[in-house]
Amino acid sequence: MLFQAKKVTKRFGGLTALKEVDLEIERGEIIGLIGPNGAGKTTLFNVISGFYSPTEGNIQFEGRDVTGLKAYQTCRLGIARTFQIVKPFGNMTVLQNVMVGTFCRLRSAKVVRKEAFEILDLVGLSGKENELARSLTLPDRKRLELAKALATKPKFLLLDEVHAGLNPIEISQVLNILRRIRDEWGVTLLVIEHLMTVIMNLSERIVVLSYGEKIAEGTPEEISNDQKVIEAYLGEEDGE
Amino acid sequence: MISDLTQRISHLKYLKFYLISTLFGLLALLPLLIRGPFYSHILVMIFLHAAAAASWNLIGGYAGQLSLGHAAFYGIGAYTSTLLFVQWGISPWLGMLAGGGVAALVAGLVSFPCFKLRGPFFTLATIAFGEVVRILAIYFRELTRGAIGITIPFRPGIENLMFHGKMAYCYFALVTMMTVFFVSFLIERSRFGYYLVALRGDEDAAQALGVNTTMCKLMAMMLSAFFTAICGTFAAQYVLFIEPISEFSIDRSILFALISIIGGIGTAAGPIIGSFILTPLQEFLRAWLGGQYQGLHIFIYGCILIAVVMLLPEGVIIWMRAIGRRIVPPIRSRG
Repeated sequence: MLFQAKKVTKRFGGLTALKEVDLEIERGEIIGLIGPNGAGKTTLFNVISGFYSPTEGNIQFEGRDVTGLKAYQTCRLGIARTFQIVKPFGNMTVLQNVMVGTFCRLRSAKVVRKEAFEILDLVGLSGKENELARSLTLPDRKRLELAKALATKPKFLLLDEVHAGLNPIEISQVLNILRRIRDEWGVTLLVIEHLMTVIMNLSERIVVLSYGEKIAEGTPEEISNDQKVIEAYLGEEDGE
Repeated sequence: MISDLTQRISHLKYLKFYLISTLFGLLALLPLLIRGPFYSHILVMIFLHAAAAASWNLIGGYAGQLSLGHAAFYGIGAYTSTLLFVQWGISPWLGMLAGGGVAALVAGLVSFPCFKLRGPFFTLATIAFGEVVRILAIYFRELTRGAIGITIPFRPGIENLMFHGKMAYCYFALVTMMTVFFVSFLIERSRFGYYLVALRGDEDAAQALGVNTTMCKLMAMMLSAFFTAICGTFAAQYVLFIEPISEFSIDRSILFALISIIGGIGTAAGPIIGSFILTPLQEFLRAWLGGQYQGLHIFIYGCILIAVVMLLPEGVIIWMRAIGRRIVPPIRSRG
């Protein structure tokens, strides 16, 4: 077991954003995380990656209790994430952005630079390393967001809508990158995505959240036939 | 391709290194070429302000935490060394380190809670901090002699960090400036430097990449306070008189920030360039116009500041780099 969340609850005042969510992930899996808007997907990411600490519940990573650790600590243990609204360091070049991530594991600027080039090659940003991050187009910013997270050489990578806003060709390129890092680096992926074709295509198992609760879990086929999931997305047939 | 590129980059780095060494060599000749106490005084102030602005730049520039309370550290440096010297005869050389230590300690204690505040709220907190320190310095009369100030007895000698004439002061200020410059230069190229610039861009994104942002800001602030305090000690030894109103004045905090901003915020050379523009401007305008037309020198100074900020919002250094690129075309990398 790589990752385990037990009865994770997150409340903001009176609002319960996550309610007793259980999640177990094996090493090397690709898990899709879906749910209607406001279901608590990004909140779950924030709790796992240490930006929020859970109100109740327990999180374990590689058999270690990581509940309530800070974001920089979970990152050093091997949990990396991307942000739905990409957060490039606008005043740095593309290469420097990636180097910040690589410095998480290495100290020597020379080695870090070399590794950063390799990551840029992987995500298809080579040739743009000296451009300022703020001058990139949206697809390239998405690639950079992925590159930064990959630069920390994570064991467990949380991807928050890395395909949104990309055209079909760019989507298949990113899908290939994700499969490569799983197959070649053995990275475990937890993927939030609204594009159903992507999620059905990529994930081996899908977890569905609705109003902060896990309402279904299973293979893509099981999920697409699950009555509860259909209701959550389309509304109940004979609702009020 | 990549190894070829890294080779080119390292070649470029050495070029930069030679260029900087040459420039500092020329700066070292300046005190010898300049005649007359007024011009020597301006040169001392240029170096001193450059050093203080470069210290401010560590936290205000690289880390983007706009402090307007740095006069407090400057004053702490001046008061610590002066009190140690006047009361117990302790050499200002030791007093300088003590002042730096006290300033770093105070910076650590005060900024830890302040770093919970972001953007303008942090800046407001630093202004309040600077004012509180000034008021405390006036209030604790037994220790600081209050608003009357302290005159430092002139006992020239290297051990007392006091000299006849201005030449020695010139060189001391130059060495201080170069020290802070090289510290900035090294930080810029280190992991710590990358982390500071990253957290200036986006704190959450930096944390997600394993950066302990609070710790980084704290270290930068303490380092910045340490060097600012050293400048404060030096200024006290140069002027031989300190009093709370001028040592801790917010004008001084603003000046350090302004020099960095005009020169090029978040760059090692920016504060030096900024000081070479603003310090002489201020001194000459005051000398030429200060006596005749009340306030005219401040008016002109303000106009020039507005013009620079509007025309070169990222600092004069950006403009100088553009010229440099025209002279030495950059090596385009293709990865």
